[in-house]
Amino acid sequence: MSRFPWGVFLALLLGFGAGLAYAWVISPLQVVDAVPSALRDDFKDQYRSAIAAAYAGAGNIERAQARLALLGDTNSIEALNAQAQRLLANGEFQSADQVVLLSAALQGNGIALVPPPSTPSMQPADIQPSLPPSTLSPIPTSPTQEIFTSTPEVTPTQTFAVAATPRPTQTPIPTIGVSFKLIAQESLCDSNLPDGLLQVLVLNSNRRQMPGMGIRITWETNEDRFFTGLKPELGNGYADFLMTPNIAYSVQLAQGSDVASGLIAPACQTSSGEHYSGGFKLTFQQPK
Amino acid sequence: MKIHRWLFVVLALFIGIGAGIVYGWIIDPVDFFNLTPDTLRADFKADYVLMVAEAYHSHRDPGLSARQLAIFGSQSPTSIASQGWTYARANQFAEPDLALIQELVTALQAWSGIP
Repeated sequence: MSRFPWGVFLALLLGFGAGLAYAWVISPLQVVDAVPSALRDDFKDQYRSAIAAAYAGAGNIERAQARLALLGDTNSIEALNAQAQRLLANGEFQSADQVVLLSAALQGNGIALVPPPSTPSMQPADIQPSLPPSTLSPIPTSPTQEIFTSTPEVTPTQTFAVAATPRPTQTPIPTIGVSFKLIAQESLCDSNLPDGLLQVLVLNSNRRQMPGMGIRITWETNEDRFFTGLKPELGNGYADFLMTPNIAYSVQLAQGSDVASGLIAPACQTSSGEHYSGGFKLTFQQPK
Repeated sequence: MKIHRWLFVVLALFIGIGAGIVYGWIIDPVDFFNLTPDTLRADFKADYVLMVAEAYHSHRDPGLSARQLAIFGSQSPTSIASQGWTYARANQFAEPDLALIQELVTALQAWSGIP
C-alpha cells in the first residue's frame, strides 16, 4: 500500500492559491473593450444625455432606442425620467428638456421632433439626408459581458439593422406659438394632499395627456420650470409644484399659453378646525 | 530518491500556479463595474462621437460638444473626435454620419476653447 503524496498535494494547493492571488489581486486583467452598461452611474447619465441630445438633433427614435438598450436599464423610460429630475435639480434645463422629450417620444405620446433646419452656409455639401435606410451606420451591439484582453484590440463593429429614420411629420406637433388654453382652474382643499400643491394637467387637442411639456412658474422676482410626465403614475400630462403660502404665483406653459396668475394657496380648514394650505388644479389644452 | 520526490513537489507547485492563473484570468476573472468611458470598446466610442456630432449639427456649439467629449478623459476633444472619425471611416459608417463627424472635427479644430 503506497502512501498518499501529501507533499505533492499541498504544493499543488499552494501553487493554485498563489496563482489565484496573482490573477485576481496582483495583476488582474485590465478592462478594455467595455460596454456602456458597465459604466459608472454618473457616466451612464452622461451617455444618456448624449443619446437625448443626438435624438434632439437628428430625430431618429430607433437609433436612440438601440443606444439606450446598451445601457442595460431595466426600464429606459423610468431611467430617463429619473435623470430628468436630477438634471432639473442641477439647473440643467436644456439637457433636461432633451431627456424628457426622448422619454416622451419613447412613450409614443404624440410629441415628435422635427429636426431643426440646418444653417445652409455651414451644411457640408456631402450630407445626403435622403439616403436610404440601409446606409445608416450600425449601432454597436452589446455582448453579455465585457471582453477582457491583455492588449487593446479593436473589435469590428457588429452589424445592427437600423430601420429607416422616420422623420416624424405625421404625428401632432405642439407648435411653438400656438397658445394653449387654460380650460379649467380649480382651487382645492384636500387635507390628504401636500400643503400648497399646484397640479397642472396638459392635454392635446384630443384631450390626451401630453408629457414633456415645460411649465414656467413665476413669483415675486423668481422663476422656475417643471415638466409634465415626470410622475407617470399620476398621468403623462401631469406635473406639480409646491407653493409657499401667501405668495402669488403665475403659471403658463413654456410653449405659450394663457397665464394663470394671482395663484395664492387658499386657506383651508379641516372638519376638526385645523388650518392648512390648499392648492390649485390647472388644466391646459391645445386648441384644435 | 529524495531529489525525485522534491521534483514532484516543485512540479505540482508550478502546475497549481498555472491552474490558479487560468482560473483567475479566464474561467472566473474579476468582475468589473463602475468603469470609466475611456475603457469603452472602440465602436462604442465612435458611436458616442457620432451622437455628439448629431447634436452639434443641431446646436452648433463646439464648446458644448467639447464638454460632451471630455467624458473620455484628458485627450483633446479634436483628437477624440478624429479617432471616432477614423474608426467610422474604417468601418464603413454611412456617408451622412461620416459627414456629421467630419463637420464636428472641423468645428473643434477651428474652436479656440475661449467662449
